[in-house]
Amino acid sequence: MNKTKTDEQLIAEFQGGDDHSFVELVDRYKDRLINFVYRFLNDMTDAEDLVQETFLKVYKNKHAYREIAKFSTWIYTIAGNLARSELRKRKRRKTFTMSQLSYEDNEFTPVDPDKDTEGIVFNTYAGEEIMKAIKQLAEPFKTIIILRDIQELSYEDISTILDIPMGTVKSRVNRARLKLQETLSYLRE
Amino acid sequence: MQNDECIYIGEQFTDYQENSLTSETRARVDAHLTVCSSCRDIYQELNRVLDQLHEFPSLTTKPDFTQNLMSKIDDLNHQSPWQRVYQSSFTRVAGYAIAAGLIVALGLNIWIDPISPNGIRDYTGRENPQIQPMESIADNVDSLLGNTADSLKIPHRATNSGTSSLQLVSDTQ
Ligand SMILES: [Zn+2]
Repeated sequence: MNKTKTDEQLIAEFQGGDDHSFVELVDRYKDRLINFVYRFLNDMTDAEDLVQETFLKVYKNKHAYREIAKFSTWIYTIAGNLARSELRKRKRRKTFTMSQLSYEDNEFTPVDPDKDTEGIVFNTYAGEEIMKAIKQLAEPFKTIIILRDIQELSYEDISTILDIPMGTVKSRVNRARLKLQETLSYLRE
Repeated sequence: MQNDECIYIGEQFTDYQENSLTSETRARVDAHLTVCSSCRDIYQELNRVLDQLHEFPSLTTKPDFTQNLMSKIDDLNHQSPWQRVYQSSFTRVAGYAIAAGLIVALGLNIWIDPISPNGIRDYTGRENPQIQPMESIADNVDSLLGNTADSLKIPHRATNSGTSSLQLVSDTQ
């Protein structure tokens, strides 16, 4: 029964040639990754393409995974790097950077039913408001909020994914939360 | 009004909320929160925000996500140049000949290789550049923290990014 298998067992089986184990990993991670990647790209089509690309990389490079790391860390790192290079490409296309999206840039389009947002339902106004505030956070704060407070990853996993010490993760989480709260109170004024 | 103690207390909020402070520091936060309405408001608001974040609407991939992915993988497998090469029986025979030649050459090489008396060479990692950690995020944070100094004026602490990098390798194209 696949349900009782760990991610690491599944990737080992996949490395041994069992494609069913790969499909199981896809099923386990596709939604988690779309939630992770979407918060950076704010575009559902791009996010879904990027998650597909992540899995293709896993498929093509299955033997690059070594059991010294958790599978989740590995796949988040791949997805995070792809998201980062996508943002870099966009940055080149636009003239402003994410961090320059400051308070004056208050335009927010929560739902465009014809595009991008399939599957997104904001149940409450608060959800929209928080989304707007997260969007305005500088990238390091945004990343840490997504990983810790939306994805609910452990400090240890975040430390590995971002390659920063655990203590730094904790203080950054604290700072990012305060920053988010400050942004929200600004938006509510 | 926020003072130095308020700044210190603000830095403890995450640990306070997760119950991971020493009893001494916890008592200090408790004491401060009873007398400082500004910090109390911030802390209560922070908890509300966290509750909302945890209930954030979850996104799902399209129903045909896995199917699309698997058909991309099928295409990949069928369009692999190596596969095309090996589909031809002529090249397969030629391939066997080349492989046999390589084995002989490698055998000779190991036999005469003075560096590896056991005849074992480590080829691992040769063509596998390390996956880069999300370092730009880590690197950028110091400057960003400086630039975005918030009204709480939490002092900037030096971050240490000199830790071990991921021991993961990948063909990153
Ligand atoms: Zn205070």
